This record gives sequence, C-alpha cells and structure tokens, in this order.
Amino acid sequence: MNRARIFLTGVGGQGTLTATTLLARTALDAGLPVTSGEIHGMAQRGGVVESTLLVGGYKSARISAGEADVLLGFELLETLRALPMLRRGGFIVSNAEAVQPVGVCLGRECYPPLEAVLDTARGFAAGIVMVPAISLAEQAGTAKAANIVLLGAAAASGALPFDVAALVRSVEKYLKPKIVPLNLKALELGAQAAATGQAA
Amino acid sequence: MGKELLTATAGETLLLLGNEAIVRGALEGGVRFVTCYPGTPSSEVPDTFFRLSQGAPYYFEYSVNEKVALEVAGGATLAGLACLVTMKHVGVNVAADPLMTLAYVSAPGGLVLLSADDPGCHSSQNEQDNRIYARLGGLPCFEPATAQECKDMARDALLLSRELETPVMLRTTTRVNHVRGPVTAAELPSDVAEKPFVKNPAKYVPLPASARPMHQRLLGVLEKARAVAETSPHNVERGQGEIGFVSSGVARNYLSDVLAEDGLEGTVRVLELGMTYPLPEERIAAFLAKCRTVVVVEELEPVLENDLRALAQKRGIEVAIVGKGEHLPRNGEYATANVRAAVDAVLGRPAPAADTLAVPGDLPRRPPNLCAGCPHRAAYYAVREVFGDEAVYSSDIGCYTLGFLPPFRAADFLLCMGSSISTGAGFARASGKPVVAFIGDSTFFHSGITGLIDAVAYDHDILVVILDNRTTAMTGHQPNPGVDTTIFGENPNPVDLMALIRACGIEPVKVNPLNHKATVAALQAFAGQRGPRVLVAEYPCPIHARRVGQAKKTLPARVAGDPESCLAVRDNLACPAFAMEAGVFTINAEQCDGCMYCVQLSAAIKPGKKEAR
Repeated sequence: MNRARIFLTGVGGQGTLTATTLLARTALDAGLPVTSGEIHGMAQRGGVVESTLLVGGYKSARISAGEADVLLGFELLETLRALPMLRRGGFIVSNAEAVQPVGVCLGRECYPPLEAVLDTARGFAAGIVMVPAISLAEQAGTAKAANIVLLGAAAASGALPFDVAALVRSVEKYLKPKIVPLNLKALELGAQAAATGQAA
Repeated sequence: MGKELLTATAGETLLLLGNEAIVRGALEGGVRFVTCYPGTPSSEVPDTFFRLSQGAPYYFEYSVNEKVALEVAGGATLAGLACLVTMKHVGVNVAADPLMTLAYVSAPGGLVLLSADDPGCHSSQNEQDNRIYARLGGLPCFEPATAQECKDMARDALLLSRELETPVMLRTTTRVNHVRGPVTAAELPSDVAEKPFVKNPAKYVPLPASARPMHQRLLGVLEKARAVAETSPHNVERGQGEIGFVSSGVARNYLSDVLAEDGLEGTVRVLELGMTYPLPEERIAAFLAKCRTVVVVEELEPVLENDLRALAQKRGIEVAIVGKGEHLPRNGEYATANVRAAVDAVLGRPAPAADTLAVPGDLPRRPPNLCAGCPHRAAYYAVREVFGDEAVYSSDIGCYTLGFLPPFRAADFLLCMGSSISTGAGFARASGKPVVAFIGDSTFFHSGITGLIDAVAYDHDILVVILDNRTTAMTGHQPNPGVDTTIFGENPNPVDLMALIRACGIEPVKVNPLNHKATVAALQAFAGQRGPRVLVAEYPCPIHARRVGQAKKTLPARVAGDPESCLAVRDNLACPAFAMEAGVFTINAEQCDGCMYCVQLSAAIKPGKKEAR
C-alpha cells in the first residue's frame, strides 16, 4: 500500500497529534508524499482530538465519511464514534482501553463495551486490531506512551504504508533522547500485541 | 518547530504546520515587524514568532487587540518596515476601522494582514467570509491551500505589498492553518532596503480633500495588482473540454482529489485561483469563453461566483455558471464528498451510493471542559451559590465560555470579544433583572474596558466578575498587558488591572476564587448593592503556572469520609477529577490538581497524604 487515508482520533492529552506528526515524518523519510491535518482549539480542554494523515499524493488533508483506509483510535469510545469515517474494506487499529468522559465518570452515562466496536465493524472492516495500549504503555514505563504503543501495533499489523523498523528509526531520530528507550519499548510491546490482538 | 524556520537554507525541506509555513514565508519576504491578537486558527503564527523572537531580525508584540495591532503595524509600515499583522476572522471586525482607510493611506514598507477564517465554526462564534473585507478595503488577496503555498504566498504577498506600497490580505481557513506538509524553503533575504519616511501630509492624512485623491490612487494601485494577478504563478489552468471548474482556497484540494480519484483529471478544464483579488479578468474571461458550463467551487459566500457572473455578463460570454446550490452550500466546510456530488451532477454521472457504518447517536459525549484546578470553576460555583437561576449571565470569549455547560449554565448570551459588560448593561437596563457579566483578563484589556467606562458613565446596574487567570489561556497562554510572567520571564511593564478599574471610578474587590468563603462573602455583599460593581477573581491558570514554573506543589484531594455525602459537590462542581468507581464516589489522584476547592465544600473530602501521589 502506498496510498492511504489515515484517520486518527483520541482524547486531548493522549498524544494523538504527536503520533500524527511522527507518522508524517516517517512517511516523508520513506519518500512518500504526505499531507496531514489537525484541529486545535476547543479540543484541547479534554475534548475529542481528531487528525488525519494522507499518504501517496492526496492534496486534501481532510477525510470525508467512508473514506478512511485506516482508522487509528487512541481511545475506545472515540474509535466507535469515528467508525462512520471508515471505508468498506478499511482497517481498524484501536486502543481497547477507555479514558472515561465526564458523564461516565459521574455515573450519568454508560461507557459502551468493546463489543460495540467489534459488532458494528465486523464484516465491513477488512481487519480489526485491538490492543490494551494504556496497560502496555505503563509496562513500558508510562501511560503517556500509549500513543506509540498503538503506532507499533498499527505498523506490525500492516495497516500503515511502512513497517515497524521505519517507526523505530523515527523514534530514534525525532524524539528527545531521554525518552527514546521507553518509546522503543512501547513500539515493541505494541507490535507484539498486534499479533495477538487480531479481533476480526 | 525550533530554530529551523530562521536557519533553513534554500532547497531544504521542512515538515511544517500551515501557520509555521506562513512564518517562514514572511521571513523570506523580509518581514521586520509583527503584531497580532491571538485567536484560533491563527495563533501558531504569532506564537512561533514570539518563541523565536530573542535575537531575531524582527520586532514582535501581542497587541492589546486587533485594532491596535493593525494600527501599530500601520505606523511601522509608514516608517518603512515590512509588516505582518495576524488575527482570526472575527478579529478583522475589531480592526475594520483602520483597515478601511489603511489602503488609502498606503503601506510604504509593505503590510500583510493574515485573516484566518473558520468555516465550520471549529472555534468561533461565526463563519464570516473575509474575502469580502479584501474587496471592501481594497486589498489584493491571496488564498493558499497547502503548507507549501502558505509559505510561498506569505512571501509573495509581502513582496507585492512592498512593491505596490499597499496592504495585502493573506486569507486562510482553519484546514489550511492546521495542515501539516512538506515545505521547500527558499532563500532568506540577507538585507532589506530601508524606506525612510518622508513627510507628506497630503499623501498620508485622509482629510476629505486628500481622501478623494487617495481613493483615486488606490483604484490605480488595484489595477496594477490586477495585472500581477493576470500572470501570477498562483493562478493555474489545466485540462480541456467544455466543462470547467474555477476554484479557490482549500476547495481546490477537494476538487483535485475528486478529479484524480475518479479518473477525470484532464477530461475537464480547471482554473485554480491562488491570487483571487483583484480578479485576473482577462484570464478568467478567456477560460469562460472556452467552456459551455463552469462550476465555481469556493467555500462560504459566492464571492468568485458573483464576480464570474458579472464578468460573463459584461463581456457577453455565453456560459452556464453553476455555484451555490444543492451540492455546494453557502455554509460550513467543503469536503471531497460534496465536491464530488457537484462534479457528478454537472457531468451527469450517477452519484455513488453511500456505504458507511452507522453508530448509535446517544454515545457518551466528550465536551471540552474546564480543567481540574481551573479557578473559573470555583468562581462559577460561588456565583451560582449566591445568584442561582435568578440572575442573568452575560458571557464573553475565553476558556470561561465553557461555563455555558451544566452544572454552571453561566452563559445566557454572548456577542463577541469584550461584549459581556456592555451587552449585560443593556440587558439590565431594559429588563431590570440582576445581571452578572463574566470576562477574562485578556478580553477585558482587549475591549471590555470601554463597556466598563460606559457602565460607570450611565450607572448601569451590573456586577462584573473579571476572571483574571493571569494569561490568555484559551488560545495557548499568550501574554496580555496585565501578566506578571511570560516564557521569557518577568513582564517588565505590567498594566495594573485594579488601578485601571479604580481610574474608571469603581472600587473593585479582589478575591482568590479558590477561597470559597471569601468569594461568596464578596458576592453576597455585591448582591445587596446597585450600579456598576467589579469583582476581580484572581488566580493563575494552573497550566500556565506550570509552564512558567510557578505552580505550587500540592497534594491531591481524597474522599476521607462518607462518599454519599459528597454527591452534591460532585454534581455542582463537576470537576474532571471526580469519578465513580463501582458506584462509589472517588477523586482520581492523577487527575486532581490539588486546588483544594472541594475540600472546602465537604467535610468528607480531605487533602491527600503524600504517598497518595
């Protein structure tokens, strides 16, 4: 695959935009034309953060409903919310774990189960990979690396137009030296989990 | 993005945000003077200039508002410096007064106004189309669509402005400001020629007698700009056939992707306009003459569409022009989906059936929320406790607009930046109801103070609560005239907010909003009074305090007593650190900022122990 529309969604503070930029740099280093989009502003106060990465020569950085080849969900509920973005035959790589919204924290709303994503997308998506990104990131050293865990899972499952080795080079090249070993571990745990996290 | 913007050499490729690319483009155009008022989606432009400002070849300021920003730069361009002024679309309304005369007076050193529009209202109160301002004020207009174009057009706009000595608009939209893509740098000028000011009042002072010839001169300048547009490399034609598309701004991207993906590239005629005002009439007329049908693809107002219709009529060109209508609306953003629908309709192709997943409409929402530890939450809690549903709440623009949400519901109406005091005063006068107006420190300096002066002059019956968090939090913690500290250390010239209010003729009361008892007592005292009153609720934004290294180390709160007794606090304070675990109320130690406000509201909540963190 050398042409792909990738839709990324998560919650403010999860590092969705950092992950997006890291992917964009990886694509550029692989010699692939890339454009990426993000929405700032109100989203930064604990709201939903959505971004896009279009590889292979697209002009527009926006993705319409039903256009995403890949849906990268950094949070389970946001993966579910973003399912209408996916095209038939697209690929889902998602964190299986939750960052509870305030209504759920306060007991006013119910958090949907993992099955809600699986049941909705099964038969429509070509592949669904679920990984416990937050737990694996904690295993790597900090929950903050959940974004990198998910990238490792995505690359290992073939959802991205480059492999895990390319991401390893990017982590080494673009992240602060101090946090490189931790993030390499996060990548590795994500990649391993992808093998066991195939849900559909 | 670090220093690369200042150091990258010609030919080097950088991965840049559209807004960062504008910074590089302005630098390549020789910018020496930058003013702004921050506002999404423009903010990364001034923030990048600010971050790089130490030892940089330009002057930079976060001006008190957009009008001041444009006026300060208006002076600097008269003094011969190449200027960039940045703001969001609604900011141009604030700057409209100087803007409408600036082009008469001219811009000898060059001046580019960045207007960052927000179709779709991602972070704005409206989606006005500022291309109309360019036409109203007589400013040539550039509309980039990619990061590379942001860089190239920022540079070319500034160079054209300097050459014609006239202000130029760089008009972007949210998707363009926040695109990220590869940008190939060009050379930075080593030296920018000086243009010393020569006194000539007849040229620079628009008294009626001089304004008339100044307008005449401006019309001549715009004809020169039109000649530039005729041959501009930013206006590009391609393809063949009798069906044509004319497109501008980010809509060009959607059109290109649809044509490429559907295998139509080359089978239709396309004219992409990057320099959109003055209109390259010869070029467009020639394009129209080659087509049977032309579709105009532009977001928001039918600006180009109306121009094209007028041009076709004037030149007697027989062409069907398709614009705003069923597929191409006058509101909201465009995307490949609706552009494809317009393309299919005009080409008589069957529309593809929608094939997308549906999800339940009642998923838990994730609205933006005031942060844990936010002093605004505490202020709203106290105001609600004293005034309840009886008072009417006049709101303003900032993080605190989020007080709109339950449980506070502390926003009953809102017009624009700085409107809360004046609109609240008018409502109070007309209704006789108690009115509380909320306004942030930056917004008060921006344009709230004039409303306060009016309230004093006409004895309006209003309680103003200035939510002073010592920064401009919503747009990314930019300094404002009142701040103590910036990322570069202490503010050498802070404006004294309390003294300013006193000078208006009001004795304000200052409280720490995180002190519940004191805040409620001050509000209760005010509730029994009439006339204009001001409470200054001062406590630094915790995010800003952390960034400038002034955050106090505190312990998280914890539920020590009966969790059931805390449920009213849970519901009325709604802090993001509150959670229910297996049906039992608890405070998430990771999320808690340690502000200790909830501790004051319930005997069952106590400061946590050290090991809890």
